[in-house]
Parts: sequence; structure tokens; C-alpha cells
Amino acid sequence: MRRVLLVMGVLILILVLGVLIGVALGPVKLEAHRLISAILLRGDTTAHVLVWDLRMPRVAAALLVGACLGGAGCLLQSSTRNPLGDPQLFGLGGGAAVVQALAMAGLLSIGTWGLFGLSVLVSLVGAGAIAFFASRQGLSPARLALIGVSISALAAAAATGILAGARVFSQQSLNFIGGSFVNLGWQDVLPALPFFGIGILLALPVLGNLNVLALGDRVAVNLGAEPNRTRVIAIASSGILGGAAVAVAGLVGFVGLLVPHLARLLIGHDTRAIFIVSIPLGAAITLYADQAARLLFMPSEIPVGLVTALLGAPLMIYVARRVL
Amino acid sequence: MILSLEALSFVSHNRTILSNVTTVISDEALTCLVGANGAGKTTLLRALSGELSPASGTFLIDGTDASALSPKDIARYFSVIPQGIQPPPNFTVFELVALGRFPPYRALWWRLSDRDRESVQACLARCHVEQLSKRRVEELSGGEQQRAWLAFALVQEKRFLLLDETLDGLDVFAKQSFFKLLKELASEGKGILLTTHDLDLVTDFADKVLVLNDGRVSYEGPPVANLQDLLVPARA
Repeated sequence: MRRVLLVMGVLILILVLGVLIGVALGPVKLEAHRLISAILLRGDTTAHVLVWDLRMPRVAAALLVGACLGGAGCLLQSSTRNPLGDPQLFGLGGGAAVVQALAMAGLLSIGTWGLFGLSVLVSLVGAGAIAFFASRQGLSPARLALIGVSISALAAAAATGILAGARVFSQQSLNFIGGSFVNLGWQDVLPALPFFGIGILLALPVLGNLNVLALGDRVAVNLGAEPNRTRVIAIASSGILGGAAVAVAGLVGFVGLLVPHLARLLIGHDTRAIFIVSIPLGAAITLYADQAARLLFMPSEIPVGLVTALLGAPLMIYVARRVL
Repeated sequence: MILSLEALSFVSHNRTILSNVTTVISDEALTCLVGANGAGKTTLLRALSGELSPASGTFLIDGTDASALSPKDIARYFSVIPQGIQPPPNFTVFELVALGRFPPYRALWWRLSDRDRESVQACLARCHVEQLSKRRVEELSGGEQQRAWLAFALVQEKRFLLLDETLDGLDVFAKQSFFKLLKELASEGKGILLTTHDLDLVTDFADKVLVLNDGRVSYEGPPVANLQDLLVPARA
């Protein structure tokens, strides 16, 4: 418990620093006193707009998407006993990506809230497919991941086809497919908040059950857990979180896959602690990745998914060698 | 405490796996369940632990009809170690055994109490794996892993241990020492039901033998020297 509190404390400090970097740095320079005044809702209009209307929504989006992906990855990995569990890799975000592509192509106009609702709903369908396959005894982790990758590739191809067919501006398409927080406002972020809340609250009661699911269904049942019910709730929760993340920022890869493994390295095997730590850890990784995407090649930007892949791939190789 | 099975049958996909099994299994005894592959040994263990519902017959736990109990209630009597169980990756022996104390249904803020820790330590010592408590389970030898699983089963403080081919893949020395430990635990009050193919060790250590042939009990009683002769291959 002490270790979890220590890790959480450090992560909160890292997050606060990340938020400050996110609002302070950018193509338009902001002196310290103007920045502080703007954060405290005082000072000049330019600084206020820069901090609260341009930079802060983007920071909030990165935090929220990272938190969603970290939590979803943890739930998928523990409920399917699969170290490759990841909302993107398991295809949960694929359906949501198609919905978003349809909206970007102008083929679907149901408003922001409707779009979020539909993305989450479609993501839940993907989650249902994964829950169905995961409940089949004897399906190896690799086969489950391959099914997910196939669904994901199919959905990504469909989304790309929709965007190409509608001649959506290539930078916009690239940002969506690679994942990006460019030009996001509060109206793009806030609708994800209730889904984040629902996803987390839904998962909390089954975290204890997830802890013993690592021992296999028969032993878990013998300890008093309910594996099938637990798996359905955990996967549904990760579907909600994964769908909300895609609706905000497109397909940000590697975060959901990597974060639970890093959390496990930091605090051990208790799924309850891994889940709690995965939320701020996912938020921190995504926030810093976005700052790198935004600041490294200023004034131009690269998709955040590129940075998460560049950071995530070697880290994942390290984790794979160390723990898989 | 005794388990009474009366004319218990189990059918799966129109095939009879268990047929009219009638026997009594008591605690404070090491009962060995032997039979050819496919004879119904694992199915019988799963029926006892509440995982499977029998098609017909009665199963009484100390006089109470198990069909009136929920699977969770039945599970309170039995610790189960299934065949071919794999340890979760990177768990230490202590972490694995401690999970045996974990109450998944009221567990969000649950932590190991001092009593839980004492119990885990006692079971590690009882199974001779105390000195391995900080080692990863998958790094241990087969015999040591099975002792760790036995400690996991013991720490749950249930009356019966159901062990399904726990000794597969161990060398003869590890098997002997494991049987000796089971015998000691039985004499201390545990009811142990072990499925196994090690007939010589069954003869040496078991208090009681149940021979299953094609889903039927063909012999029940003390171990005998010619156990091999009592077995018949399962039907294809």
C-alpha cells in the first residue's frame, strides 16, 4: 500500500509538471507572470485564450485519453489473462474509428454527444466479440490477440477507405489514423468525461475478482469469484473507455498495451493497484507524448501516435524481455 | 465430516461420463481416485467441487444435499488444484499462496491481515517451501511448484483438498515425498481426494482407493497390490 501511495504521489507531481509544460510552452511565448495570471483567471485576454481555450483543452484531452487507455488496457489484460490486451490491438477502437471516419467524411451528422455515444456503442460491440472469444476455453492469448488485430486492421482499412473516398484533407486523416490532439476544444473533450466516469465506476466492483482470475477460471470459482460475469463487466468497461478515447483523439497506439506492464513493474501483481496506477500513468505518458509531438518540431507537429509508438515500441520490447 | 455420493451420474453431449457412482469419502483420509484416461476421474472431482451438476443421483456434504447449495457455498468445503495448472507469470511463492486468502467478492480495499500472514507462513512451512517464498513460482522445479500449490490450497483452510493429477511430470523421489506430505496432512484432519496414475505409491500411502472404470466405481476399499489388474482402458 505504501508503495502504491508513493507511486501515485510521484505520478501526480509528474502530471502537474506536464500540465504546466502543456500550457506554458508553444509557438507563442508566454512570460511567467502572464501565464500565472491566466491560470488564475486574471490578466490579459490573449493569455487567457491561449491558456484556457487553446492549450488547456488539449492537455485535458491528452490526460483523459491516456487515462482511458491505461485503464482499458489493464482491464483487458487481466480479464483475458492476456499480456497483449490493448483496446486498439483487440479491435475495440476499430468500430469507433469507423464512426469517427464517417463523421469526418460528412456521412454522419448526429452532433458531438451523439457521435460519442455511437462510438462507445460500436466499441461495446467489439468488446462483446472479444468477451465471446475470451470466454471460449482453450483459446490461446496469441489467437485472441490475432482475432483482435484482424478486427482492428479491418476497421482501420474501412476508416481509411471512408476518408479517402470522401477526399478528407490528408493531414486531417493522418492525424486521425495516427492519433492526435491538434485543434481540440472543450467541446471535443467534455463529452468523454461521463463515459470515463462510467467506465471506471463499472470496473471498480470487479477488480477483486480480476485479481484471482489470474489463477484460471476453475481456481477463481473455487475462491468465490464469478469469472464470466467479471470478464463481461471488465471488457464492457474497457469498451466504454476505449471508445471514448478514440472519439476524442483517433487511434493512439501502444498506451493501453504498455501502461499496465509498466504499472506491474512499479507496484507488483495486485490488479486493484495496477488499475488505480494505470489511470494516472496512462495520462502522464500520453500527455508527455503529446507535448513531444507538439514541441519537438515546432511550429509543425507530428501525430501523437507516432511518439507513443517511438516511445512504446522499445519500452514494450524491454517489458517483453523482462516480464512476458 | 463425510461426503456421500448416491447413484451419481453425469452426462455430457449424450455420453455418460459417470454412471451410478456410490461411495463415501471422509476427511482425515487420503483417498486416491485411479482409472484409465477418460474414466471420469476429473469429472467426478468437478462434480464434487460444484463446478458440474450431476444428471441424477444425490451428493450429500455432511448430510446436506449439495443440490440445495450454491456453487459458492459448495466451494467453502473444497480447495481445488486442477490438472495442468499454470502459475500466473512473475508471481512469487508468497504472492501465490497469499491469494488463497483473498476474498474476491468483498475485495476492493482488502489487505492481508496479520492473521492471514501468519497463516500463509505456516502453510509455506508445512509444505516445506518457506525458504522459496521470495522466488518466482515458474522458476521452481516441478515438485517445488506442486508444494507451492499445495500451500495455496491449505491456506484456504477448507475441509477437503481436491487434487487432480497433481503429481504428473514429477520424478519418483518428488512423488514419494509429496505422497508422504499428503498422508501427514490427512492424519492432521484434512480430507484429500487425489487423482493419480501412480499405482505403486497409491498402494504405499493411500487410506482408501476408488477405481473408476468407464464412469463406474469398480473397486472401493483399502489399497491392494494388484491395482493395475483392476483397471480397464476407457472406451474410445
